[in-house]
Formats: sequence, C-alpha cells, structure tokens
Amino acid sequence: MQKEMAYSFPDEVLKHVFSFIQSDKDRNAVSLVCKSWYEIERWCRRKVFIGNCYAVSPRMVIRRFPEVRSIELKGKPHFADFNLVPDGWGGYVLQWIAEMAGAYPWLGEIRLKRMVVTDESLELIAKSFKNFKVLVLFSCEGFSTDGLAAIAASCKNLRELDLRESEVDDLSGHWLAQFPETCTSLVSLNISCLGSDEVSFSALERLVDRCPNLRSLQLNRAVTLDKIANILRRAPQLVDFGTGNYAAELQPDVFSNLAGAFSSCKELKSLSGFWDVVPAYLPALYSICPRLTSLNLSYATIQSPDLIKLVSHCPRLQRLLFLIQVLDYVEDSGLEELASSCKDLQELRVFPSDPFGVEPNVSLTEQGLVAVSLGCPKLQSVLYFCRRMSNAALVTIAQNCPNLTRFRLCIIEPKTPDYLTLEPLDAGFGAIVEHCKDLRRLSLSGLLTDHVFEYIGTYGKKLEMLSVAFAGDSDLGLHHVLSGCESLRKLEIRDCPFGDKALLANAAKLETMRSLWMSSCAVSFGACKLLGQKMPKLNVEVIDETEPPDSRPESYPVDKLYIYRSVAGPRFDMPPFVWSMDEAVKILH
Amino acid sequence: MSEVDMAVIKPEMMKSYIWLQTADGSIQQVEQEVAMFCPMICHEVIQKGMGSSKNYAISLPQRVNPAMLSLILDYCRFHQVPGRSNKERKSFDEKFIRMDTKRLCELTSAADSLQLKPLVDLTSRALARIIEGKSPEEIREIFHLPDDLTEEEKLEPLKNTTDDPRIRLLNRLYAKKRKELKERQKLKNIEVEEERVDDRSVDDLLSFINGDNGDSKGIKNSKSKKKNRRRKDQQKNTSANEAIKNHNKEPNGLNQVCHSAEVGQKVRAGVGATSNLHDVKDDIFDNKNELDDGDIDDEIDPALKEKIDREVEDFARRLNSDWPERMQEILSFGHERKPVHFSLNGNGSLRRYANSEQR
Repeated sequence: MQKEMAYSFPDEVLKHVFSFIQSDKDRNAVSLVCKSWYEIERWCRRKVFIGNCYAVSPRMVIRRFPEVRSIELKGKPHFADFNLVPDGWGGYVLQWIAEMAGAYPWLGEIRLKRMVVTDESLELIAKSFKNFKVLVLFSCEGFSTDGLAAIAASCKNLRELDLRESEVDDLSGHWLAQFPETCTSLVSLNISCLGSDEVSFSALERLVDRCPNLRSLQLNRAVTLDKIANILRRAPQLVDFGTGNYAAELQPDVFSNLAGAFSSCKELKSLSGFWDVVPAYLPALYSICPRLTSLNLSYATIQSPDLIKLVSHCPRLQRLLFLIQVLDYVEDSGLEELASSCKDLQELRVFPSDPFGVEPNVSLTEQGLVAVSLGCPKLQSVLYFCRRMSNAALVTIAQNCPNLTRFRLCIIEPKTPDYLTLEPLDAGFGAIVEHCKDLRRLSLSGLLTDHVFEYIGTYGKKLEMLSVAFAGDSDLGLHHVLSGCESLRKLEIRDCPFGDKALLANAAKLETMRSLWMSSCAVSFGACKLLGQKMPKLNVEVIDETEPPDSRPESYPVDKLYIYRSVAGPRFDMPPFVWSMDEAVKILH
Repeated sequence: MSEVDMAVIKPEMMKSYIWLQTADGSIQQVEQEVAMFCPMICHEVIQKGMGSSKNYAISLPQRVNPAMLSLILDYCRFHQVPGRSNKERKSFDEKFIRMDTKRLCELTSAADSLQLKPLVDLTSRALARIIEGKSPEEIREIFHLPDDLTEEEKLEPLKNTTDDPRIRLLNRLYAKKRKELKERQKLKNIEVEEERVDDRSVDDLLSFINGDNGDSKGIKNSKSKKKNRRRKDQQKNTSANEAIKNHNKEPNGLNQVCHSAEVGQKVRAGVGATSNLHDVKDDIFDNKNELDDGDIDDEIDPALKEKIDREVEDFARRLNSDWPERMQEILSFGHERKPVHFSLNGNGSLRRYANSEQR
C-alpha cells in the first residue's frame, strides 16, 4: 500500500478545528503530531495546565505558548495535606506572576493549588491584568486580606474569587468593601476559609445585591444563621450555597424566615457549610432538599438520626460528603438509609470526627459502605474512613460497583488486618483493582503484603494516582507498581519497606510520571545521588530537617524523597532542608 | 398559451442559474438560490457580475473539485430552504457529515475557500471529534502526517529507558534473572497448580532481591503513625501526633532500617559505606554481579565506565568556568521575589547547563 500524501490544510482551517479541541490531554496530543501542527497549536493555545510548577519554568511556558489566557498551577505534593511537607518547602507563585505580567497582558484566569501566594503576588495580579476574571486559590497560603483588597479594588470584571481551604491572614473584614460599586460581575465567591469575626457583613450584602449573576456563594463561619435569610433573599438565583455558622437558639420567627428564604431559591442544588449545626434548624432546608444534588456536611457535627432524616428528603442526591460522629448507636444505619433513598449517588465521603481516639465507639464499619455499594449503582468516587474492614466486604463492594473511578479507603489504625480472618487485605483490594477497570485513583490501608501490589500492577492499568502507607514487605511491592501500572502519574508512599532496588531498576518509569513521594522508607542516600546523577530529566530532592544527608554514610536511608520530572532543571528556591541530587549542583561543591 | 399553461411553465422559465467552473475546467450551472448560499459565489455575482452565462462562469478556488462542489451544493440546497426546523437541520447535518476522513478534510478545505461558515463549523467539529481521545501516533496515521518532531521539541519525556547504559543494563539484568527463575520453576514443577507456581516465583524473586536469604518478610513496623485528612479544627491533634512520631524515631534513623524487611540490610551492605560518587556506582553493580554468580557478560565495560567518568569531569569543569555568568542570571531574578536560600550544604541554586545532553 503506497503511502498517501498528507492532506494539507490552510493554517486557518486547522486552527479552527483546534478551537473545538479543549481538553489538555487532547491539546497535548495534537501538539505532538508533527512540526506544523505543533507550531499552529502553540499559537492558539489559550489554556495551560501545569500539574507541577517545578516541572517547567515560566519562561519556557511563555516562549512556547504566547497567547495564553488561562493558567492552572499546582505546587506542593499531595502529602502536604498530611503535614508531611515542612513549611518553607516551596511552591512560590510570585516568579510566575512576575513573568506572566509582562508576557500575558490579557491573562484572565489563574487557578492555583497548594501554592504559596503572597500579598505581593496578589497586588501584582491586580495591577497587571486588565481583563482579570477568575482567581481560584485552592489550599494555598501566605497571603492576607490586604492582598484580597488589592484584587477586589482593581479587578473591574472579576467573575470568580474562590479561596477554598486556603490559609488567609485575616487582618480585617473590610477588604470586601474594596469591591467598587461598579462591580456587578461576580458569579462565584467562596470565602469559607476566612476566620475573622469581622467580616464586613454590610459590604457583603451590598455586593451580593448588585451582582445579579451570582450563582455560587460560600460564606465563612463568622456569618451567623440569622443573617442567612438576608443574603438568600438578595440572591434567589443561587445554585450553590455555603452557610456560615448554622447555630442559634431556636426562635420561631428566625426559623420561618430562614425556611422562607431557602424556599425562594428555586435554583439551589448544592449546599455546604453548616458549622456547629443545630439540628432544630435543619428542617428549614426541607423545601429545597428534593432538588439537592450535592450536600457537603463535612464540617457539620450532625448526628445520625438527623442525617437520616435530612437525607431521606433528598432523593436526587449525587454527592454527599459528611462527617461521622462517633456515637453509641450504629452509624451504618445512616448509610443504609442513604443507600435506600439516594439511588443517584455518585460520590461519598465519610470523615472521622475523632481519628485519634484510642477507644473507638464502633459506630461506623465496613457494613455502611457495603450497603451504599449495593444500593447506589452509580457510585464512582469513595473516600471512607473506618476502623475495620474485611476482604469479603471489599470483594462485595468491587462486584457491586464496577464503575468506581476513585477509591480511597482509610482504615484508621495502620496495618489492621481483615477483622474476620485476621489475614492481610490483599485479596480485597485486589478485587477492587480487578473489577473496577476504570479505577484512576486508589488509596490503600490496612495490613498489606507485596501481593496487593502484584494485583495492582497486573490490573491497575488505568490507575493514575496511588497512595500507600504502612504496606508491603519488600522492594518487589514497589517494583510491581512501577513496572505494571502503565498510566501511573503520581505515587506517594510513606512508611513502607521499599528500598533502592525497585527504584533504580525502574528509574526510567519515573520520567513517565509526574512525581514520586517516599517518606520513612528505606531508600539510601547513595541511591538518591545515583538517580540524580543519571537521570537528567528528573529532579531528585531529599528532604531532611535534622541534618544534611551527606553527613551520614551513603547507605543510610533518607527521611523524605520527592522525585519529579522536569525540563527546567533543579529549582532555585530550595530551603536549607531540601537537597537536590542534581549532579551539576553536587559537583560544584 | 392559456393562463394555466403559463402558470405551469412560468416557474421553470423564471428560474435563473449561476455558472460555475471548477479548477479542472468543467463548467456547470447551479440554481441561483443554492449557489448564492455561498458567500464567495454571492460576492462574485453581486460585486463582479460574474456567473450569468457559460462564458462568464465563476472560477471556483482550486480546493473545490467537482466532487466537493457536489457535496457543498447538496448542503446548500437543503439549508437554503427557509422553512426548516432546527431539528430537521441538525438531523440532516448529522447524516451529511458521515464520510471518510479524507473526504471530510477536503470538504472542510473546500467549504473554507467558499467562506461557507456553517459548513466549515460542521466539518471542523467532526474533525475535532475524530482527533479527540487519540494519541499523536494515531492522529498521524489518520491524516498521513510526518513524524518530524525531534525529541528535544517534544516536552513529553521518553517512554523508553534513558540513554544511560547503566540503567539499561540494570533493567536487562533484572528482566533476565526473572526469566531464568521462571524457567527453572517451570522445569521443576510441571504438574503444580498455577496458583502455587506463582507464589513460588514471587518468593524466588524475593530471594533474588535479598540475595538468596530465603523468606524475607520483614518485621512489621508497629509505629502508630496515622494517615488522616488535615482539618483546620484538628491541627492541634495532628501536631500531637507528629510529636509522638518524632519521639519514636531514633536520631540516627537506624531503627527504620532495622525494622524494615531484610532488603534494607542487603541494600546497606551492597551499596557500601563510602561517600564517593564513583564508588557508589561501582558498588551497586558489584552487588548485582555477586548475585549473578560472577557472570562475566554482565560486567560493565571498563572503557565505557572510563568514558562516562571523564564526561562527568568535563562537565564539572565547564560548569565552573561559567559560574560568574550564572550568578548574574540568578541575581537578576532575585529582586522580583523572595530571597533565595543559598544553602551551605551543596545544593546551591544553579540553573542547569543548557546542553545537558553532553555527558
């Protein structure tokens, strides 16, 4: 068969075709097809996602994509959420903002996750981008309400300001008043993370009043229950609402006012907040419950009977996040109720209220999750904390929910075996990876040997992220994962007996992944150095807060190891407790 | 002629046609309302007065061959009728667009040259759908495009092993050993159930890693560290947990090695106690050689080793000579951001030398 001539398009036509291709994965594929497509694609790329801010430099991004309007960056490794990444590790966004300020005057959207954002950065954003529309700071830190004031004051067309789970230095609530009277463009505002007691409520009310397109509003804990009605009456078009404090003395007029305000919100589909919830006020929600698709009660210390009652009013619930209170009666009953009334449930998250309690009042067990897996066939995403599990239960869950894409099980006590057979939970997790063919994310817990990793390596072909703690027996476990999981992008491991061999034997694999985190394992300093020396496209960083790793013999294991692929070389902003294994850096000294 | 006859004949006589000529020379006439649906033809007729007769046929752009013209006219013929519902139009479009990729490409191009935007959008979207979800190789196949990007141009890292001969060798050794073990097992236990054979291979592999030390399931580490979701109101608990963790851990980190599987022990012994980079590399391979029963074929070529070491030294020298320039670059960043920690421990802030391939 003779090779056909490539059909040539005019560039404009190809550009037009590309304009209908928006996902990052597809854009990346398009750019790698051939030289001409690469060139055309880079000029019309408007949105860039960078999963690791150190994988590439701002300069390189700007050079390659000159017309970007929207950027998303992630900084610290995921285990930072568990306080395993020391303060000062990095993830500073200022250099990015500084370079983009010059290169992308039309930049409209910045989304950051786990990055350090300073007031200086925020001020720079405020004055550099005339068309700035969207700022999302997810789990970020390093800034104060002064920085927010700069954003509010300068960004005339701000549509979205979302500070979820960030740590903000709350100096004053008056930043909200900085939004000019002419600002009417807000669509989404999430200030749930702010701590201050002085949120300027009047400024907030006025802001909500003049933004007719406001669809999503998450208040912070300081806003009291009696104020909710005022806000809701000003914004009956809300789709997504987060209450502040949901506690007050039960007063009939407050209650009826609140219930009326909720019922006037005909579009409301998603609720969150509910700090310090007083159950007596929950019935105020009943009028909107039939429409609710998402309910986040993970801050609400709600008890099982109240939860059951609330949830039974929500037949269309697709997403439920809640906090389980450790109480005398079995919480599994709440989940059983959920399973019978919420047939559309896709995502379930159950958090422990007291994970460090020595004596658990066993109120939530594997039975609750089994019940949900049986009753909710659309279940795709699970995050479940509990104190006991069995292989049988896991096998049942796997068979009931073959569509699971995310399964994160956290049995609170490390190395807990199957409570019925006292065996490891290898077979149970094996069933999960075997039956759930689209599984993308998995977190393991309980007693696990190398066998579970063999299952994961064999069946987890679509697995992109794996979290492991206190599991495995030997390097073979790690080897199974690195050699078998073809789609693996992020691997995070703590307290496992994995050493040098599997890592070195699979060194090339690391270049196909975004990152690898290993802490309290058995990887020697010597192996780290070898990796750093021999793998120029990897940044190998050793974290040790006690003393320099080269003050000990090379065979000593390192405390924490973070390896990530990068085309930017070793980073400039490492704190004293982070050592780069980059050969160039080492040789100089 | 009677009035009735005139009524019958009249529409036919009143219909006007536009004359179009494609690049191959062939000329055809097309109903006016259909042809005028194309902006380019419309422009030629109105602005230049073309198309009214065979001699003044509108020359269509080269990208519009007779086959494409026919398709485009089908499209126009349908859509120019004003009464149709959106549903009808959408249904037509969905059927219309079903054709092989080559024709789709030609059609997109042709429609673009006639400035027929709705059709360009329709075909472009269809092409986009074809492209979505595919790998670069697959896309190249479909559109017969050359694979002409160099590795440097691709930001995607290599799927295969690096150029480094040592890592490649290590991988080969490992694979070879596993294969040998599997073969040995097959020969020994022909009638054993599959499940048991697998177990044995796993154990054998384990013993390979541990240097034939038999069962190497490590002593379980019973520290009470917990993995938990960080909560703002549980920070105090978390820090208490961290305190416990630090208390349990011995300052020299030895307990981690002891409590882990015997692999830890083996690794420590194998890698050796020197801190010289050169020796570390050798030791890892010495260890491998022991396990392979001194198989001479697997030893690294000393000449190659020499070459690599020399390259590393050259690199270091070049780096040193460029140091003042590098410092300038780094300092020029400095005023824009937080102070850089110039660590005392040897991991100074240094931009990678641009041409790192020279090793």
